[in-house]
Amino acid sequence: MEIERIDNTPTETIEGYRVRPGKPLPFGVSSVPGGLNFSVYTSAGTACTLVLFSRSEEQPLAEIRVPDHYRIGDVYSIVVYDLDYEDLEYGFRIDGPYEPELGNRFDKNKILMDPYARIISGRDEWGADPDWDRAYQYRSRVAFDDFDWEGDSPLEINDADLVIYELHVRSFTKNENSGVKFKGTYAGIVEKIPYLKSLGVNAVELMPVFEFDEFENSRVHPDTGEKLYNYWGYSTVAFFAPKAGFAASGKIGMQMDEFKQLVKKLHKEGIEVILDVVFNHTAEGNERGPSISFKGLDNRIYYMLTPEGYYFNFSGTGNTLNCNNPVVRNLVLDCLRYWASEYHIDGFRFDLASILGRDPWGAPLSNPPLLESLAFDPILSSCKLIAEAWDAGGLYQVGTFPAYGRWSEWNGKYRDTARRYLKGDDGQLGEMAQRVQGSPDLYQANGRSPATSINFITCHDGFTLADLVSFNGKHNEANGENNCDGGDDNHSWNCGAEGWTEDRDITRLRTRQSMNAIGILLTSRGTPMLLMGDEFGRSQHGNNNAYCIDSPVSWVDWSLMDSNRTLFEFTRSLIRFRQNHKCLRINRFDHEGSRYLPSCSFHGTNAWEVNWSAESKQLGWLMSCDDEETGHMDAVYVASNVAHYATWFNLPQLPDSYQWKLYYNTGNLESAYYENPANYDEQGILVGERSMIIFAASPRET
Amino acid sequence: MDISLETFNSWQVVRVNGQVDSKTVGDLRDFIDTKLTPGHPVALELTAVPFMSSAGLRTLLTLQRKTTEMGVDLALIGVASEIADTMKVTGFYQFFNIYESLQKLSEGDSNGN
Repeated sequence: MEIERIDNTPTETIEGYRVRPGKPLPFGVSSVPGGLNFSVYTSAGTACTLVLFSRSEEQPLAEIRVPDHYRIGDVYSIVVYDLDYEDLEYGFRIDGPYEPELGNRFDKNKILMDPYARIISGRDEWGADPDWDRAYQYRSRVAFDDFDWEGDSPLEINDADLVIYELHVRSFTKNENSGVKFKGTYAGIVEKIPYLKSLGVNAVELMPVFEFDEFENSRVHPDTGEKLYNYWGYSTVAFFAPKAGFAASGKIGMQMDEFKQLVKKLHKEGIEVILDVVFNHTAEGNERGPSISFKGLDNRIYYMLTPEGYYFNFSGTGNTLNCNNPVVRNLVLDCLRYWASEYHIDGFRFDLASILGRDPWGAPLSNPPLLESLAFDPILSSCKLIAEAWDAGGLYQVGTFPAYGRWSEWNGKYRDTARRYLKGDDGQLGEMAQRVQGSPDLYQANGRSPATSINFITCHDGFTLADLVSFNGKHNEANGENNCDGGDDNHSWNCGAEGWTEDRDITRLRTRQSMNAIGILLTSRGTPMLLMGDEFGRSQHGNNNAYCIDSPVSWVDWSLMDSNRTLFEFTRSLIRFRQNHKCLRINRFDHEGSRYLPSCSFHGTNAWEVNWSAESKQLGWLMSCDDEETGHMDAVYVASNVAHYATWFNLPQLPDSYQWKLYYNTGNLESAYYENPANYDEQGILVGERSMIIFAASPRET
Repeated sequence: MDISLETFNSWQVVRVNGQVDSKTVGDLRDFIDTKLTPGHPVALELTAVPFMSSAGLRTLLTLQRKTTEMGVDLALIGVASEIADTMKVTGFYQFFNIYESLQKLSEGDSNGN
């Protein structure tokens, strides 16, 4: 029997609209019989007006002052009947004191975006010039939270088995030569799923997709006249809304469906979706920035403020979200739960996550409530939580990020060590050995596992792999900041000429160095992450901070697939190799190895002996485990020589029942990998200058 | 938006003329709920529909669910290419049998998905 509710009728009419008192939860807008329930929190605001618009109209349809007796605690809620959900845009005006020195910045003349809005209009099409005269720019809309998932659910792939591929939604397919129809969009990624599948990665990490404004601080390059944008989007406007401008269907407001379709299709092919989320700051900037939402709703609650009411700037971008305020903490939690449940997201990577562990005055907390809440949340319990374990305020927590047994970390030390080792710097062997094992020096004592370490050599921040081996210094002139932006500690080496060259010896060395980097990454324990396009030599022409560049400099150039085919095939093959060899993916530091060999051992030019001295340039690592499925021992031996001369390595001996097979040799670019690896019966091998060789053990054929 | 009913072979053809969005979709839904004869396949003739909003597409999917439950075939005819693109990128397309024209429907020549 269907029971009719007794509270689904209006109680009064305001401004011609039939209304009744709403319910404070859930926050934002939700559908109730016959109407919509609006709910918004403001602790210091003194009055709330709901402003309704017809889609894209400048003038409101109505302004409904929410009666004070509709307020419960600090939450105003109201049900409005007879609204056209699809056509509606809404916002709030909050009255209250304007006392910046006390942290309050209320202004009832401003129309504020709902912080819980699940679709935003106003930036529907990427790069389409907005009407700046409009009073209300980022306009909250009502979402249809329905989708036919056809039984899809998050994949829950073990952390240690992941190979993550970091990509920017627009850059990935925007280039004319991407071969997709819906270029630069979520749907464009769907068209590239066969490529991702053939490469073999099983997770994509999407750079920010929460609604941001590409026009924030946009400007024209003083010399080139090129338009510069907030291209990467590390500046959130709306935490619950997918960026419309990344959707082919954004013009008609169907970005939610398109994004869900992307997740569904990726899942179907066994690829997880990790979102790069930015909770450390918002697009509202400092005291000179716009009042989009939080500033006018409750500035003192949402932002970390100095005693004089200015904005703390631990993010390096103007403001700092007050993440350990209980209200803000709940907002973050609500947001992530929403993405995990409504969009089936598999994991989150937190930009400048160390900020999330600071107290409201900026001091690092030993037991940060937000990080703890996320770690133990029932809905997020199988989501990957990945910290960028540092911030712009000087906190560096790689190895010490409060993990609660759940958080993993972008291992910045892995990146730096691998880079220094690759170019043959002195004194790197000891640390490289730690990194290869999953960084036990950072993660073992506190009970963490190797997969706590997200290993990477390149990511969106900094040089691409091709640039890492082609430039000694950054070349960021195109960013219009006199090459002052971007990091200077690149640990890069140009292999003999700065930038583009025709010198074949140099270009070959660069290819080899790229292979060596990928070789180290994919034979290390921990979770490897690749940057889009590095598998075929994507270059940004030496720009190590292309955050503002919306041009072919940032876009993946798919024609490189042909010119750098060997590198691509090498990478693709090595990803499969990693998936075939369990011993590379062991996720315990106390693993005892196989019946014949230790779990992880190190070797030099002589087996079982490493020259750990500062000048030493040769390191071998041998990983092993028993494979329960086959009953055989699994073992992989990697010999790497970062010296500028070839070096003989004696191989570690295997028991009689096994023999080595040679799979990869980056010293031989003509055939750096072997489809059908041959038995290798010699006692040793000459490893070429700046080269690496990879063997795997197989049972001796009798 | 105008809606009319005609027949084509064994199909009941619902011919829609005009934009389908939240303002008009209620009429389409009412028409489908009241004017169709149970047990006969349904073809939605959309050649004269230049635009379909999110609410419009959702109504199509609801109709697809209803006809599946009733064991009746549903075909979409003459979907404009922009609407088809939207349906493809948002995942709606895969649930429908789509034909260029009633003629193609009778020949069993669908656009595939």
